[in-house]
Amino acid sequence: MSSLSVKHLLGIKYLNADDIELIFKTADSFKEVINRPIKRVPTLRDTTIVNLFFENSTRTRISFELAEKRLSADIVNFSASSSSVSKGETLIDTVNNILAMKVDMVVMRHPAPGAGVFLSKHIEASIVNAGDGTHEHPTQALLDAFSIREKLGGLKGKKICIVGDIRHSRVALSNIFCLKKMGAEVMLVGPPTLMPTYIESLGVKVEYNLKRALEWCDVANVLRIQLERQDIKYFPSLREYALYFGINKPLLDSLKKEIVIMHPGPINRGVEITSEVADSNHSIILDQVENGLAIRMAVLYLLSGRKEN
Amino acid sequence: MNLLLRSATIIDSTSPYHLKQIDILIKNGIIDLIDKKISSDSKVREMDCKGLLVSPGWFDMYACFCDPGYEYKEDINSGSLAAAAGGFTGVAVLPDTIPALHSKSEIEYVLNKAKGNLIDVYPIGAITRKCEGQELAEIYDMHHAGAIAFSDAGNPVSDSGVMMRALQYAKLFNGVIFSHPDDVNVSHGGTMNEGVTSTNLGLKGIPSLAEELMVVRDIYLAEYTQSRVHFSMISTARSVELIRAAKKKGVNVTCGVSSIHLMFSDNELNEFDSNFKLNPPLRTKDDIAALKAGLKDGTIDVIISAHTPQNAELKEVEFDYADFGAINLQTSFALANSSVGKNIGAEGLVEKFSVNPRKILGIKIPSVNIGHEANLTVFSMEDEFIFAQEKNYSKSNNTSLFGKKFSGSVKAVINNNQFSEVKK
Repeated sequence: MSSLSVKHLLGIKYLNADDIELIFKTADSFKEVINRPIKRVPTLRDTTIVNLFFENSTRTRISFELAEKRLSADIVNFSASSSSVSKGETLIDTVNNILAMKVDMVVMRHPAPGAGVFLSKHIEASIVNAGDGTHEHPTQALLDAFSIREKLGGLKGKKICIVGDIRHSRVALSNIFCLKKMGAEVMLVGPPTLMPTYIESLGVKVEYNLKRALEWCDVANVLRIQLERQDIKYFPSLREYALYFGINKPLLDSLKKEIVIMHPGPINRGVEITSEVADSNHSIILDQVENGLAIRMAVLYLLSGRKEN
Repeated sequence: MNLLLRSATIIDSTSPYHLKQIDILIKNGIIDLIDKKISSDSKVREMDCKGLLVSPGWFDMYACFCDPGYEYKEDINSGSLAAAAGGFTGVAVLPDTIPALHSKSEIEYVLNKAKGNLIDVYPIGAITRKCEGQELAEIYDMHHAGAIAFSDAGNPVSDSGVMMRALQYAKLFNGVIFSHPDDVNVSHGGTMNEGVTSTNLGLKGIPSLAEELMVVRDIYLAEYTQSRVHFSMISTARSVELIRAAKKKGVNVTCGVSSIHLMFSDNELNEFDSNFKLNPPLRTKDDIAALKAGLKDGTIDVIISAHTPQNAELKEVEFDYADFGAINLQTSFALANSSVGKNIGAEGLVEKFSVNPRKILGIKIPSVNIGHEANLTVFSMEDEFIFAQEKNYSKSNNTSLFGKKFSGSVKAVINNNQFSEVKK
């Protein structure tokens, strides 16, 4: 198999395990490329990609942009806060205006869940979802799974614990879909108010005690507290959150085994994770960032439909 | 208008001709004769009704005509045409207009504008000023002007004290207050049913609890005030259970269900289709089963269209930003018949579509009998119905049902000495 079963990458739920495996294999070769002295390949020459960011992003946008540059694609960047868009132009109009200038692919981040799916019904170009509200963030889940695979040699049977604000997290949702498809076990831990009522229907375990969850897992993927996405208070204070759901060195030392620590970034140091942990050898946070580049190159390449490498 | 309906089967349990296949002669809008083989007269238009059913004209108890204020979505004229094409001869229209139907003059505006229509349009007055749930509107005065009931449309009256006083005040004239059961602090910004589907889609869920808490509250308020509450539409299994128990206890409550909620579950949202973004939201298959059981045993009194026109700009956008609601006047019967037709039969459908709405609102129920005004709907429970977009009379297109096939179709409506045949 050398091509994906989908035209767009709108979410992990639309992929099958073969697609994910293909993306990993492709990312393996791109990871080799980005470590060469000459990091650029001509694969997507003459392909124009627009990065549409309707929501603030630094690392995802830079990662995509760099991936596109490494593939020699032409790039157009569009950023707008959702408020300025809601004043006037609709999403479809914005995108069609850009596509009228003969753009081949769209990378989009958007605050509304399903925005990518919605757009895919109105345009021809391939779409890569770079995060749509509380729905999915597929490239993040792919790079997370890719990093676990790299660190632990595979995903099947591995125990992954996702810590924190599950309710507002597209990263959690995409991670759950991806890890389950690849045969890993998933446990969620966080305050009950941040746990969606029906989350267990996705085939995951739910735990409210952080230490018990860490004792169980091989890898803890620690989520950022999305204060910007919480319109009402779901827990009393950041202090209390850090006390009971923050990961610190003494807690890790008290475990019977070593576990791997991941974080999608940006980190609220001292809230969900202490600096000591983030910078320790438990952490593969910076590997995640490097792998993000390889994964995004793989996704863009595979969706472009280019055969030659 | 003179008309001869040939070989129609009458569905009207109050009529001596109930279940008889017979000819009906209408002269100047009055049923002149019901008999076997009425001799034809070249001056009288004939309609072959073999295999078709004729019942008292249907009544939709909950539709939005958006007039005044949102005439670009719908107005009284276009809404009336859609209603007639959907088999309705009467419609109660919602007050969430601009200005809201919250004083005598708006009530009179609607009544005047609808005069001379085939369908009878009954304005529902607002419970509170601007349907905002704060200050009681001039309910008694609106009642005198012709408001048929009171509702804040899709807004719940969140303040229990305001709802209590509205119920007490409406006892002045034995009025009925509609409840839109939704605890907004629980549903808080939700866009669809909270459940497995919303979890998969990352969409903010509206728990069933948000509805049920308010159903409980308003049952208690009805009991305390000894007044009349009508839940305009319920959507959850638990609501059915609560209302069933309240009725059994003798509390004066009635309720409706929208035909869309009988037909579709929240699975329809898997593709983020904003035309299925509704308030209350589409629920689960278990809820649908409970709603059907509630219709069958009489817990649910009426089936409504919940016709809510929205212009494309408010619907063809990202799901979170889309407004709630779908048009449904022309599809309501087909949806209801396809989902519960076999379960409750023709008489059951006529009860939910024609008799009970008028009973609750205190409107005279038409009878298919000699000497009565001809207020009739001609329909089939078997014929296939495909909703063609070019036959959509609403000004809005917010439905995902264009081109879809259902069983059950409307053939004609007769009212106010007017006849309208629904063309295929």
